[in-house]
Amino acid sequence: MADRLLFAKTGRARYISHLDLMRTFQRAFFRAGVPLKHTEGFNPHPFISIALPLSVGYSSQCEILEFVLLDGVSREEVPGRLTAVMPEGIIVHSCYPAERKLKELSYVNYIINMEYEEGRPQETETALKALLNRESLIVRKKSKKAKAGFTEVDLIPLIQSWNIQCQRDTMTLSAELRAQNPGLNPELIRAAFCQAYPELAPDFVTFHRREVLDADGKPFR
Amino acid sequence: MNRILEQILPKVQKPARYTGGEYNAVVKELSHVDTRYALCFPDTYEIGMSNLGCRILYGVMNQMEGLWCERCFAPWGDMEEEMRREGMLLYGLESGDPIAEFDLIGFSLGYEMSYTNVLNMLDLAGLPLRAADRPDLTPIVVAGGTCAYNPEPLAPFIDFFVLGEGEDVTLEYIQLYRKARDEDWSKEEFLLEAAKIPGIYVPSLYQPVYREDGTLEEVRALEGAPETVTKRIVQDLDKAYFPVDTIIPSTEIVHDRVMLELFRGCIRGCRFCQAGYVYRPVRSRSPELLSQLGKAACERSGYQEMTLSSLSSTDYPHLMALCDDLLDYCAPRNIGLGLPSLRADTFSMSLMERLQRVRRGGLTFAPEAGTQRLRDAINKNLQEEDLLQSVRTAFSGGWSGVKLYFMLGLPTETDEDVLGIADLARKVYFAWRECTPKPARGVRITVSTSWFVPKPHTAFQWDAQIPVEEYQRRVNLLRDALRRDKSITYNWHDPETSYLEAIFSRGDRRLADVLEWAWEHGAKFDAWSEYFNYQRWMDALAACNLSGDFYAHRERARGEVFPWCRIDPGVSTGFLWRERELAYGGQTTPDCRTRCSGCGANGLLKGGVCNG
Repeated sequence: MADRLLFAKTGRARYISHLDLMRTFQRAFFRAGVPLKHTEGFNPHPFISIALPLSVGYSSQCEILEFVLLDGVSREEVPGRLTAVMPEGIIVHSCYPAERKLKELSYVNYIINMEYEEGRPQETETALKALLNRESLIVRKKSKKAKAGFTEVDLIPLIQSWNIQCQRDTMTLSAELRAQNPGLNPELIRAAFCQAYPELAPDFVTFHRREVLDADGKPFR
Repeated sequence: MNRILEQILPKVQKPARYTGGEYNAVVKELSHVDTRYALCFPDTYEIGMSNLGCRILYGVMNQMEGLWCERCFAPWGDMEEEMRREGMLLYGLESGDPIAEFDLIGFSLGYEMSYTNVLNMLDLAGLPLRAADRPDLTPIVVAGGTCAYNPEPLAPFIDFFVLGEGEDVTLEYIQLYRKARDEDWSKEEFLLEAAKIPGIYVPSLYQPVYREDGTLEEVRALEGAPETVTKRIVQDLDKAYFPVDTIIPSTEIVHDRVMLELFRGCIRGCRFCQAGYVYRPVRSRSPELLSQLGKAACERSGYQEMTLSSLSSTDYPHLMALCDDLLDYCAPRNIGLGLPSLRADTFSMSLMERLQRVRRGGLTFAPEAGTQRLRDAINKNLQEEDLLQSVRTAFSGGWSGVKLYFMLGLPTETDEDVLGIADLARKVYFAWRECTPKPARGVRITVSTSWFVPKPHTAFQWDAQIPVEEYQRRVNLLRDALRRDKSITYNWHDPETSYLEAIFSRGDRRLADVLEWAWEHGAKFDAWSEYFNYQRWMDALAACNLSGDFYAHRERARGEVFPWCRIDPGVSTGFLWRERELAYGGQTTPDCRTRCSGCGANGLLKGGVCNG
């Protein structure tokens, strides 16, 4: 049976790409002395997979990595051992047997923080609400497969729920977005907002994954 | 993390290069730090982090009480643009603090084409380029590495150069710096004292005097300057620091594996090879220690690959025993063990067979020259039959590709030697036909040639680089000779960077103006085709009234005063001249273990006997 890690990726570690993170984990398992199943074949390597690849620059407190723990180290020991040998910003919270299928992971709660250095214009809140309340919101998305180099997606059906909180310099959108098949990258919401209201475009935006959820909106583990 | 940096990073490629925070990066409590050092590598993170020397110095310095050494690399163009736009100064990766506030800034110089990056990094740090325009004691700008063996083109920008291996001398000059700072010395007072430390070359204490024809009359030693500066070596490698606990980058670098350094120096004595001369004498680590270090390094890094690195690793005397020992550890853990520099002989091939669990695509050999005559002249002690026997072994064992490296324009080269490259490549092809178990699969034989660059402190330091037209003619000659061989691919190095390398490797102090002019007009990352602009360099030379051919294409007389004449790598000039004469006579010199050739480098060792 497979095992899972729940880990956070924050601070400087935000900039580690998905592929580099896989490599980082492979090495970390080795130096932590945590034995795990390897792939078979001519060139065996540690078999691990990360549930939903996180975009470079995003932070997260709910990343899930799947692997198969071999005898020698107990699950309870794994988080401490791994965190001790990780780059700054990667913290392994827990290790547990995988009981549910990954495809039950349905939604991701993102915190999208829009910052305005000169103070936030009043209208941003109503503008963003209006945007998200539309019947449909079709945006162009880069695509390697499509001939034209892009495809069109409607964001609205992929947004399960949202709420907005505003402060003097910031507007924070908390949104539950479809996780997979297809998933929605919150960057597309930012892009749609900036396209619809270029005069309200924030100076800087951060993205944070707060929770992964099942179809009932309960935390997925 | 710095807020400006946070805003910049989403806009640049591969941002993990600019964040620090890797596993084993050293972060010290500032209240316990009295001296801060920026260890700078004038190329990208991926290249700099692959440099074993920098990892050693980083470890050695951070072991020192009160000293915090941080890393700094050249930001790629997109990052530089964002930094300049935001007014963000070049910073140490560990703390994010501007390096201009540090006490010492040290550059590692591995390659002439990185010189403009040194200038660019000083500028990005917010510092004046020229040492004379930095009158204060802090920061002191230091440079070391292979290129420091001819420091003159960079002389006006650097406060002092460090010659040879840095493990000991770095700590010595840092101690002196602390004394200077605590006692309020001026920069001049400090540099005069620093010049007394063996291995330190203070360029402001030497004055080049030129003749009308542009050659040097002398490099005058000013008051307080030693007559010559002798490079430093580590006496006993078994006692030297080895970076077992080293930084593991969170993003992929060029040499992303454990690098186990077997020995320093090289016994071979190839006459074109600067490393082979300046890293003498040979000093080995004991196999017991290496085995222990290698295992510990794998365990503590998590790397699944280890390479046994040295100038010519198969010359390590206990190689078989060491490999067996390491294999016992590596094989059950799926750790790959590799050798970077293969000699084409049966011993190396049988070793290769044992090490390689997976047959990779191709093997690489560097015969350097196409005929036995020329190989003898350059003292590349490689017999054609050894090479052919090696490729036969490889092809029989299932390899389907071989890369062969050569140089064009070596001293004494004739058209016969050039065509000899084609003959040799064809013999390799016939060896494949004869031996391969899978003839249907085909074979890839790649011949690559570079344009020979004469280097200081080698037997060919007096020789001219052949003119570019002649290089091009020889390339065409070889290309035509190989035109009909469908299984042989011929690649040749573009001549432009090799010409510039030839200029700067044997250049004098006047070239500093050329560097500065080129940098002012946008030169940086000259080793990268994305940035290299040949015309800009030609314009820079013209603007400074200097001729590139004077440096690259001129044969020097025996008695010529070289810009690097104050630098003593331990190998005597008399020996190098004898080696040159032997080259022109087609005579070989046996390797150091077979017979001592009296180069002089043993004089650097206490006891005076090489043990390698």
